[in-house]
Amino acid sequence: MHLLEVENLTKRFGGLTAVKNVSFQIDEGEIVGIIGPNGAGKTTLFNLVSGFLKPDSGTVKLRGEDITGLAPHKIVNKGLARTFQVVRPFHHLPVIANVMVALKSPRGARKIEWLKTMERKAADLLEDVGLSELALEPAENVGHGTLKRLEMAKALATEPDLVMLDEPFGGLNPLETEFLTKSIMRMHLDEPARGILVVEHKLYALMKIVQRVIVLHQGEKIAEGKPEEIAKNKMVIEVYMGKGM
Amino acid sequence: MTITSYLRRAYSSFVAHVFDIPARFMAFLLFLTLLFIPLMGLAPFYLSVLIQANVLAIFAASWDLLVGRTGQISLGHAVFFGIGAYSTAILSSTVYGFGLPLWVTIPIAMLVGSASALLIGFPCLRVKGPYLALVTMAFPLILQTVIKWTPLNPVFHGENGIKIGVPPLFPFLSIRPYNQQRMAEYYFSLIMLFICAVIIYKIANSKTGIVFASILDDELASKACGINTTKYKLMAFILSGLFATLAGALQAHFSPRGADPSTLGLTMSFTPVVVAFLGGIGTIYGSIVGAYVYTLLDWFLLRDLIPRLLPSIPYEARQYLNLLIFSLLVLIFVIKWPRGVARFTTDKLEDLEEARDLDERGPRIWKRYKRKREKSSSI
Repeated sequence: MHLLEVENLTKRFGGLTAVKNVSFQIDEGEIVGIIGPNGAGKTTLFNLVSGFLKPDSGTVKLRGEDITGLAPHKIVNKGLARTFQVVRPFHHLPVIANVMVALKSPRGARKIEWLKTMERKAADLLEDVGLSELALEPAENVGHGTLKRLEMAKALATEPDLVMLDEPFGGLNPLETEFLTKSIMRMHLDEPARGILVVEHKLYALMKIVQRVIVLHQGEKIAEGKPEEIAKNKMVIEVYMGKGM
Repeated sequence: MTITSYLRRAYSSFVAHVFDIPARFMAFLLFLTLLFIPLMGLAPFYLSVLIQANVLAIFAASWDLLVGRTGQISLGHAVFFGIGAYSTAILSSTVYGFGLPLWVTIPIAMLVGSASALLIGFPCLRVKGPYLALVTMAFPLILQTVIKWTPLNPVFHGENGIKIGVPPLFPFLSIRPYNQQRMAEYYFSLIMLFICAVIIYKIANSKTGIVFASILDDELASKACGINTTKYKLMAFILSGLFATLAGALQAHFSPRGADPSTLGLTMSFTPVVVAFLGGIGTIYGSIVGAYVYTLLDWFLLRDLIPRLLPSIPYEARQYLNLLIFSLLVLIFVIKWPRGVARFTTDKLEDLEEARDLDERGPRIWKRYKRKREKSSSI
């Protein structure tokens, strides 16, 4: 049984088909990347899988259980967490309270072990992404790179089986990118059974961490394979660079 | 010896906790002032104005819990106020044969209020933002129309409303003189306000309060954290309705008009909005300070001072003049202190605090206590 199984997912916005018959699988412990030029339908696919949009047709299965069209919070509580491309912190709350919101969800609360308080669990999560020192700072006062890491901590708070990261490196400088790459790798090593799905524009950073890449173009899946294969794939190069290269 | 040391420890912990933060110190001073006001020998009329301020403070705090803390805009909070007023009035008036005492009617009214909040919340929370504001606005008006409906006059007495006589608040104390009765009412409303303020403050700072704040900031992100936002919004609605009903019940008991259709009017819906904006949204001090500022402006400036200064203006014209002056005042307040009077004060105090050295912080009593402690430790 696959961890995530997406079959023939389709979504239309009026006359535009944003995602067309996309199917793919993710197994336990896999890190999979989704790439594609602007407007390829990556974020739409993300929203369809995480329940923020309802698909026109097709199914999404998590551990064999059909989760197509469920409400977002129900999907999170089934073990599929996501981050946003544009960071969405709770501005008025301190950094640590941002994480505590996720710990207040049914799944987050269940995963707090016996005798471990919510505050301690939140502090541990912040330490994992290197935010301990900013724990009590209001989220509106911290920088963009920090908020990206906070998004990760929020997603990890529910201890999901599958994490979906929407452009985790967007707007980060090389140093921050490297740090985040390390924490994604650590996230993978800490929980080897956890699947990770990454949508990214920065191919160089992405290719270093993923085991498999899915390429989208105009809503359709045009290629899938190991990063090295994809980098040599003629069709992918055509899509990115244009014909005649 | 043990008793004195215990007392000293209690005193020092009291000083350390109460006088630590300027905002807390201000709140303490405010509470002391409110506690001693009736002992200044005010006329019963002034006391009844202050009682109204207390009721308004509870009402505004309940509105603030829903809007300032959870971000669900309600412009029809009068519906809970009216339900509270009418259900207490029906239960305690002898006309209907119930004639229950205040200690029974208020809890029942609060139960009715929270049940109605559940009923109203279900359809309302399907819409968001300005649409929610419009939908909530309709409910008190519907109820008001029902109550004014002629065939129902034998039950609700139409425009006249239901009056509750003034039953002794504490029958076992047998407070007979009118003045004393008012004072007892004042203290009762003050204690109720204090209890409500503490409960709302505790809710807002609890873990559930954190979730409320997350919905206020970004509902979608809150959903992405696995939070069933509808459940929490409904919870905020019910809690808010509970306290608003309490305010309505107190109003029915302590106001000479009892429960009448004006408790469901548009004015009553907008009053908590104005009060919370005057005091400062999202704080408990804001509602209390705002309620007092509002009531004092309303009664002592508009209904007392202006008629005295301009005696030649007829009553009808004065009504419009009052409205004009009041609107202008609110406008000035909101422009001058957009975050509210209470917040402005606490922010200023905290700025002063930061400007000072960390060792020198706190009011004089705190410093004296520190100096004493240093002396004793050096010996």
